[in-house]
Amino acid sequence: MGRYVVRRLLQMIPVFIGATLLIFLMVNVMGDPIAGLCGERQCDPATAARLEQEFGLDKPVWQQYLTYMGNLFTGDFGTAFNGQDVTELMATAFPVTVRLTLIAILFEIVIGVTLGVVTGLRRGRPVDTGVLLLTLVVISVPTFVTGLLLQLLLGVKWGWIRPSVSSEAPFDELILPGLVLASVSLAYVTRLTRTSIAENRRSDYVRTAIAKGLPRRRVVVRHLLRNSLIPVVTFIGADIGFLMGGAIVTERIFNIHGVGYQLYQGILRQNTQTVVGFVTVLVLVFLVANLVVDLLYAVLDPRIRYV
Amino acid sequence: MLLEVRDLHVEFRTRDGVAKAVNGVTYGVDEGETLAVLGESGSGKSVTAQAVMGILDTPPGRVTGGEVVFQGWDLLTLKEEERRRIRGAEMAMIFQDALSALNPVLTVGDQLAEMFTVHRGMSRKDARAKAVELMDRVRIPAARERVRQYPHQFSGGMRQRIMIAMAIALEPALIIADEPTTALDVTVQAQVMELLAELQREYRMGLILITHDLGVVADVADRIAVMYAGRIVESAPVHDIYKAPAHPYTRGLLDSIPRLDQKGRELYAIKGLPPNLTRIPPGCPFHPRCPLARDVCTTDDPPLYEVSGTRGSACHFWRECLDG
Amino acid sequence: MSDRHHEPQAAVAGTSMGGAMDLGVDEAETLEKKPGPDGAGPEDRPRSLWSDAWRDLRRNPVFIVSALVILFLVFISLWPSAITSGSPLKCDLAKAQEGSQPGHPFGFDGQGCDVYTRTVYGARTSVAVGVLATLGVAVLGSVLGALAGFFGGTSDAVLSRITDVFFAIPVVLGGLVLLSVITSNTVWPVIGFIVLLGWPQISRIARGAVITAKQNDYVQAARALGASNSRLLLRHIAPNAVAPVIVVATIALGTYIALEATLSYLGVGLKPPSVSWGIDISAASPYIRNAPHALLWPSGALAVTVLAFIMLGDAVRDALDPKLR
Repeated sequence: MGRYVVRRLLQMIPVFIGATLLIFLMVNVMGDPIAGLCGERQCDPATAARLEQEFGLDKPVWQQYLTYMGNLFTGDFGTAFNGQDVTELMATAFPVTVRLTLIAILFEIVIGVTLGVVTGLRRGRPVDTGVLLLTLVVISVPTFVTGLLLQLLLGVKWGWIRPSVSSEAPFDELILPGLVLASVSLAYVTRLTRTSIAENRRSDYVRTAIAKGLPRRRVVVRHLLRNSLIPVVTFIGADIGFLMGGAIVTERIFNIHGVGYQLYQGILRQNTQTVVGFVTVLVLVFLVANLVVDLLYAVLDPRIRYV
Repeated sequence: MLLEVRDLHVEFRTRDGVAKAVNGVTYGVDEGETLAVLGESGSGKSVTAQAVMGILDTPPGRVTGGEVVFQGWDLLTLKEEERRRIRGAEMAMIFQDALSALNPVLTVGDQLAEMFTVHRGMSRKDARAKAVELMDRVRIPAARERVRQYPHQFSGGMRQRIMIAMAIALEPALIIADEPTTALDVTVQAQVMELLAELQREYRMGLILITHDLGVVADVADRIAVMYAGRIVESAPVHDIYKAPAHPYTRGLLDSIPRLDQKGRELYAIKGLPPNLTRIPPGCPFHPRCPLARDVCTTDDPPLYEVSGTRGSACHFWRECLDG
Repeated sequence: MSDRHHEPQAAVAGTSMGGAMDLGVDEAETLEKKPGPDGAGPEDRPRSLWSDAWRDLRRNPVFIVSALVILFLVFISLWPSAITSGSPLKCDLAKAQEGSQPGHPFGFDGQGCDVYTRTVYGARTSVAVGVLATLGVAVLGSVLGALAGFFGGTSDAVLSRITDVFFAIPVVLGGLVLLSVITSNTVWPVIGFIVLLGWPQISRIARGAVITAKQNDYVQAARALGASNSRLLLRHIAPNAVAPVIVVATIALGTYIALEATLSYLGVGLKPPSVSWGIDISAASPYIRNAPHALLWPSGALAVTVLAFIMLGDAVRDALDPKLR
């Protein structure tokens, strides 16, 4: 196991470098990295030249990348457009997005898995067909449309919630945005659980469990669920990375000041350091989440051995 | 009689229509007796057993007629909860492929102990001790350590021993073994079969041995029931059958066993294939493949004729067959 | 677009199996594999994967409905004037946010443009982006994937690492970064971006399919008989790898349409005066209180379009996946 982790960590390095380099290139080559540094005004040529030198922008891109990454590992993520340290920005933005993601994951587990189990056990019945169709619709409607519609219905028409979230973004205000963020994954979790349950339900070991005279509840929970949820757990684990990266749309709809919001601001103002810094952290989260998922597999399924 | 199955009918709904898997099966097992149920795959031997156990997949399967009487209970009329209490405790089943029949993510100890916690209400600790005891009983070495291992960590023969241990855990009156040795190496087959026979003698259990292997049957069975297209075509004490089969299908099965004294001769095989269960031919279902078939066989389904007090054959021409 | 769309597709599969598959007993196998004693029933003819799939599809209501919707969409994107006489750019601020009225069934948006006309013309953008991006992704992805799968070794390892890199970048984020600086007002930058980030998904599928097909005995036999690499790939391997690529590409088409709308909503996809559902939804969201119709119609059109493609892909998968038979 230890050796496996080390090998996986080593494999992550090229992916990490590739992904961050790609983003770095996109931002640098395409945008004007110093455009945002003078605030709202256009930089005058002299200041621009001074800034260029100060940030090493006159050097070749690969050198800039190395310098940036070097700084990054000493904890220096650079300066945001408003003069704040990017790390400070992260300290306020990440907790909000993490909360949002947590709520989304919770929805996936509670609603997605429940619906999946219910439909998987009742394959072909009306409940199953209905839920299946519903999941297709949810998968098809883009998140921003779902978000706007729910905001319109719950926030504006019925007044159940505040249409936009306050800057502290406490848990209760994030419930609806969390549901919106989770929606597509929720539908996938439902379908994945359903297929998995339906497949395992006909398996030999479930038949054995029934033949042993175990109560139905025990057959389902201890034998069927335990096996069927292995792929679901790994999907949800891998989803953490995607949700944090995808929160940008949800955060914009509900005006949540999280990672997506800061990134959006950074992009609008062409602030290289904010964008690259945040994306780097997101890529790291994604990679680590995937590693954890792989290790989780070994815990859940004793047949898997890592060499 | 410990178990009596009478005129059992089972159907499966499939894409291509209704498959009549079991069509009027009647058989019985006594305490301490071994009944071998013989037949090709698709003959309905496993489905009959599943209907007896109450583990048929419903839907698509459905028992459409007949009765199953076990220790005085009319099983098919019992409520599911009552049947559940019987399953595992009073009658148990051993499956063909222990690797897929055991839960891959639970330790064998957990799976054995479960029998005691659920049916006997034992504490987990006592149940665990019982599990070790059982593994010793089926002669798994180092039981105390291996109780914590998962099914995939055992060899095929050891896994099947665990299946057997699970079946005898609560000392049931009846065990149904569905091809218990088919998935095993030939050398291991004999050991496992021996163990099963020994335990059966010790606990005086009834045993239904489902198999397609005539070699296994000769040594352990008391009676044989031969199934074809969901019905019993011949039922007889084991020695009678080997001496002279009273049904052309049984004869075909016996002739297709490779024998050393016939080395060099072409191996016999029954011509044709078993019928599609959604379209069983009219008359005797075996007639398209039968060397003795005549016109009457294509129209009249033969009943189980009484050949002797202990023997029956579902062939219009059983006399002819018996005489060779 | 991303890995998440890859794995769950296994979950999307398996929606309409039933019947004999579920028997799960040895009897079922006999029913499935062995022909009846009388030999040649109508079911027993040898059937090809494609004719079989087509036979299944024709009887599948999901397929029929989604195919009709898609045909209609293609029709109105080619000839929008067939069902609307107005121009999507003719707007009258005086009528801003007004509701439904004769000749304007969907009402007016915040700029006083006719919502019906704009919704009709929006289909063109979505269909164009969806179809062109999918073509690009499918061609690039399957060529790269097939080559990597066929030749293996270093090229395969390099390609796999590159796909990993692309999967690690959040899609919407990449779009924001890359497209925010482009001022062009055509569909091409969006299409280019989708192809750039979308090909790894198809290449993984194609690679896997090619590796599986490569191990088939008849391919080994053809190789032993001295067939050239290009002949092996084109005649023996490609036909087997096409089915999974088609399925994934059809579903991806739907998600690309959704992605274009999302990017346009965020302001980096297409920009006004282009006509796109994403732009209209974005423009309507500030007036959500007073003129919800301006938001609902393009949203509905977008949802139905994406749904149609995803359901089509789902139906095609069910028909093509022999495991589900």
